[in-house]
Amino acid sequence: MTKYFQIWLASARYSITRTLMFRFDFFLWALVELFWMGVNLLLISVIYEHTDSIAGWSKYEMLLLVGTSLLVQRFLMGFFWSSLFEMGRNIKSGAFDFFLAQPGNILFMASTRKLDLDGLCNSLVAMGVVAYAAHRLNLQPSALDLLLYAVMIFCGLIIHYSMLVMTISLAFWITSAQGIEGSYFTLAEFSRLPREAFKGIASVLFVWLLPVVVVSNAPAQILLHGFQPAWVLALVAATLAWFGTALFVFHRGLRRYASASS
Amino acid sequence: MFPAFAKYRQSFLIGLQSNLVYRMNFAVRGFFSLFHLAVVFILWGAVYSQNESIGGFSFGQTLTYFLVMLVMQFFVGAFNEDYQISEEIRSGLINQFILKPINYFSYRFSIFLAARLVTGALILIPLLVAVPLLKDYLTLPTEAWRFFLLAPAMMLSALIQFSIAYCFGMLTFWFLEIQGFVILSMAIESLLGGQMFPLDLLPAWIFNAAKFLPFYYQTYFPTAIITGRIEFAAAIQGFGIQLIWVLVLLAVNQLLWTRGLRRHTAVGG
Repeated sequence: MTKYFQIWLASARYSITRTLMFRFDFFLWALVELFWMGVNLLLISVIYEHTDSIAGWSKYEMLLLVGTSLLVQRFLMGFFWSSLFEMGRNIKSGAFDFFLAQPGNILFMASTRKLDLDGLCNSLVAMGVVAYAAHRLNLQPSALDLLLYAVMIFCGLIIHYSMLVMTISLAFWITSAQGIEGSYFTLAEFSRLPREAFKGIASVLFVWLLPVVVVSNAPAQILLHGFQPAWVLALVAATLAWFGTALFVFHRGLRRYASASS
Repeated sequence: MFPAFAKYRQSFLIGLQSNLVYRMNFAVRGFFSLFHLAVVFILWGAVYSQNESIGGFSFGQTLTYFLVMLVMQFFVGAFNEDYQISEEIRSGLINQFILKPINYFSYRFSIFLAARLVTGALILIPLLVAVPLLKDYLTLPTEAWRFFLLAPAMMLSALIQFSIAYCFGMLTFWFLEIQGFVILSMAIESLLGGQMFPLDLLPAWIFNAAKFLPFYYQTYFPTAIITGRIEFAAAIQGFGIQLIWVLVLLAVNQLLWTRGLRRHTAVGG
């Protein structure tokens, strides 16, 4: 365990040095993410110019939900995105051999190689959005609520990570698939919607089958309405199920990996 | 005139073939755009459950807007033209165009047209699924002028889309990586091009300012014409501004090309 932590620290140090070398890139990408977050927040503020509630959620409740969903996404971007994105390319080009040759867990080595400091910086902005919304709502969460919120965010991060690993693993089967990572962003759109807005078949698909709604709604519910066992259990169960499936899919795919011939 | 036409007809045909190779990618993208429509349906469905009308438009009209917007993106939107151009500059492939009697802009534009023919045809497949499901909601105005103005508005939109992508591609002469710029501009385009929400829902002063920016004419303008979100007089005025932007962007393209070439070193090309 400590060995893996040390490896992670070494990767983090390398990423920080790299960022300091390419400062302009860092500012540009931080700005890019900031803009995209802004676009999502603007959508909320424009809609609430014309209505008081969406599925029973007031403006600042919705802001808290969107902030939470952005927070999970920023963490994913910061900790894993670059490495996983490269994994897809490496599988296609055959450069993935490099990871297979390393003495360590393959998925760990391949998904923690690079940190994106811009994503991590913007996670502070997302936290700011959540804090601002909580302030406007006059919420006073207890220390336990905050701890639970953090745990829920962590679970959400694992679920997003698992979804991304699965999408990228498709490259083992369809080597010509370009830009398949983009599908992740489409699914992430659902996590900015309140659970109450989903009805009928949409509720079955996006709330029960895919974890995209529970990922953001469970933590937001804790801040808004305190500890609710049903939400917490649902999220923990979803985390275990999705992480397990992702590991299974990845290892199945790995068997098909044909090195540089692809 | 005619020899030139034959030249670009060839590049159009080559573009058609090379884009057909990627038909699966475009089809996957089209498939995922159905999910985007689902988000739109759920979000706006929840908004309209408490309001009869938003900004003077019904749920059906808003849904139609987003569906048309999606089709518009596949028919006139630039997908990855900026990256392709960037790659050709970086790898030195453009060297051959400097030496041959071919205009690089026209060459790329004919490939862009071929690509839109392919993506436009492919979006019809998910539409075959979506339209029957949503047919009770979809509603278009019936005034004849809207249908006449649609085609020219789309053509000018395609020119603006391509010109902007071309500009970003040209940046490769100055910067090694253009991806950051492209995704930054995508955020602005998705907002001011009306992909996130109908622009007329913006506060009036922002909306009026947006009308003078090129992004408004990328997708929102033709979409607004056909979905009835713009009146005749405003549409005519819009054409004027759209035309001005086309000319401005063409001039900027030309400027960036000649300036960029001065910096370009064709090593070993």
